[in-house]
Amino acid sequence: MIVLENVSKIYGKNSVGLEGVSLRIEAGEFVSIVGQSGAGKTTLAKILMAEEQPSSGKIKIGDWDITRIRSREIPQLRRQMGVIFQDYKLLPKKTVYENVSFALEVAGDSPRHIREVVPQVLKIVGLEEKARRFPEQLSGGEQQRVVIARSLVHRPKILLADEPTGNLDTLNTRDIMDLLVKINAFGTTVVLVTHNREVVNALQRRVIMLRDGRVESDQAHGKYTLSI
Amino acid sequence: MITAWRIFKNSWKHIGRNLWIGLATVFVFMTALVSVNVLLGANVMTTRVISLLEQRIDVTVTFQPQTPEAVLNQARFYLLSLPQTASVSLVTADEALTQFRERNKGNTKVLEALNELDANPLGGQLILKAKRSEDYAFLLSAVQNPQYAPFIKSSSYDDHKDAIAKIQIFGRNVRLVGAVLVALFALFGLLTAFNAIRVAIYTHREEIAIMRLVGASSMFIRGPFVLEGIWLAFLSIAATVGLVFGSIQIIEPHLLTLFDGNDPGLIAFFYNQGLSIFSIQAAAIIFLSALVSWIAAGRYIRK
Ligand SMILES: Nc1ncnc2c1ncn2[C@@H]1O[C@H](COP(=O)(O)OP(=O)(O)OP(=O)(O)O)[C@@H](O)[C@H]1O
Ligand SMILES: [Mg+2]
Repeated sequence: MIVLENVSKIYGKNSVGLEGVSLRIEAGEFVSIVGQSGAGKTTLAKILMAEEQPSSGKIKIGDWDITRIRSREIPQLRRQMGVIFQDYKLLPKKTVYENVSFALEVAGDSPRHIREVVPQVLKIVGLEEKARRFPEQLSGGEQQRVVIARSLVHRPKILLADEPTGNLDTLNTRDIMDLLVKINAFGTTVVLVTHNREVVNALQRRVIMLRDGRVESDQAHGKYTLSI
Repeated sequence: MITAWRIFKNSWKHIGRNLWIGLATVFVFMTALVSVNVLLGANVMTTRVISLLEQRIDVTVTFQPQTPEAVLNQARFYLLSLPQTASVSLVTADEALTQFRERNKGNTKVLEALNELDANPLGGQLILKAKRSEDYAFLLSAVQNPQYAPFIKSSSYDDHKDAIAKIQIFGRNVRLVGAVLVALFALFGLLTAFNAIRVAIYTHREEIAIMRLVGASSMFIRGPFVLEGIWLAFLSIAATVGLVFGSIQIIEPHLLTLFDGNDPGLIAFFYNQGLSIFSIQAAAIIFLSALVSWIAAGRYIRK
């Protein structure tokens, strides 16, 4: 499904994002990427969504080599990939419904399809009742659920989440994690970048630990162990 | 199809949702356009003042007394045949004498002296106007050919020479400064207008990033901004045309006194050349505003 071969990302002279990372993630997996701050987790996520290009190495999504993807082809990639990133929040002037339908509109989907899909994904995240609210009228956890709903509209094969629970308390974190597990159960490959030890340990799924841009460990039923 | 419609719709949504930014942008565009047109108008009027001044210049060629009238007529036709000549009027010796008597009506001494003479002491005159002031020197040398030179007593060119030269230099400078000012204002106007577009698009940067994230094509993202730029440019050129035509109607009557009742040429200029002047301005501002919108929106399409 996702294959990285010896991928490096050098930002500058003294700034290495990734160094010689090789990975293979199968369809339907739930993978957590962990590591200290600056380990290269976000860099890895950005390379997967083609926001950054690797300095060397090769990346394939399915049969598609996206290593040197052209700008024109990026929309096609993004429509197969749900992305949850701190950088991409909700639009404050749009309602919950509009924030989600927007993602379909810009991709050229028909109004009929939009009317069908948006309530479905809002139902998955449990916010169909709050569709008419604006983001500021929602809690942090609810806002994050709208972001997840938005990432689901294209029925992505891959869901990429960078610190989706970063600003949330334990209760909300558990809600979001349950949601991600549910989405994974539908067959979507989930790649989760997180700092949160309890989250990773509760999952009992594959854990990839990065350190200084390299893969330090890769365990099938991993624990986020302290390794300083 | 649905995409084209959404691009079109979004361009109006942007304007509607950011009405103040849109209005501010139109206002900046208009300031640029109006200042260019004000300068064009001012240029027209100074040019007009100079040509009025130039029209007032004439050179009198005075012939020897007793020069046959046929020579005067020949010289006149000869001058009229030259392309540099605007007009030549003939004052015969008799007319010159009548005018002289008229001027010295109260002066009995002069009149008495005149009566004592047998013949008319004055010669005929040609009053010459050139199309352009710099042509006087040429016309005078032309008329002073061997055929007429012996009959010519004097010309007033030498008295006027300096004045003519000054007007010429002044006119040239005014035109040069005018052209430079128009160019500068057009440039500064465009720069501020572009900045206004960039600011307007900057407010959409998050939206653009998210659009890209969820799989919008670059075309779909840029389209509405480019169209919005076109609508705003169009709006400002329309408002500018209205403003210019409205204000010249009000201004021109007040200028008549300044111009001694002569036509200041402002209304005439904008009516005759308005179509091409405003077409050029419209084409320039619409094209450039679309281009800048395209580039500015692209800056926020990260990847
Ligand atoms: N745009 C950039 N330009 C230069 N260096 C960068 C850039 N982005 C990241 N880096 C560097 O690359 C390394 C990895 O950064 P990255 O953001 O991937 O870390 P991270 O694991 O996501 O950290 P955190 O847990 O704090 O989010 C860091 O040393 C960082 O300074
Ligand atoms: Mg990070």
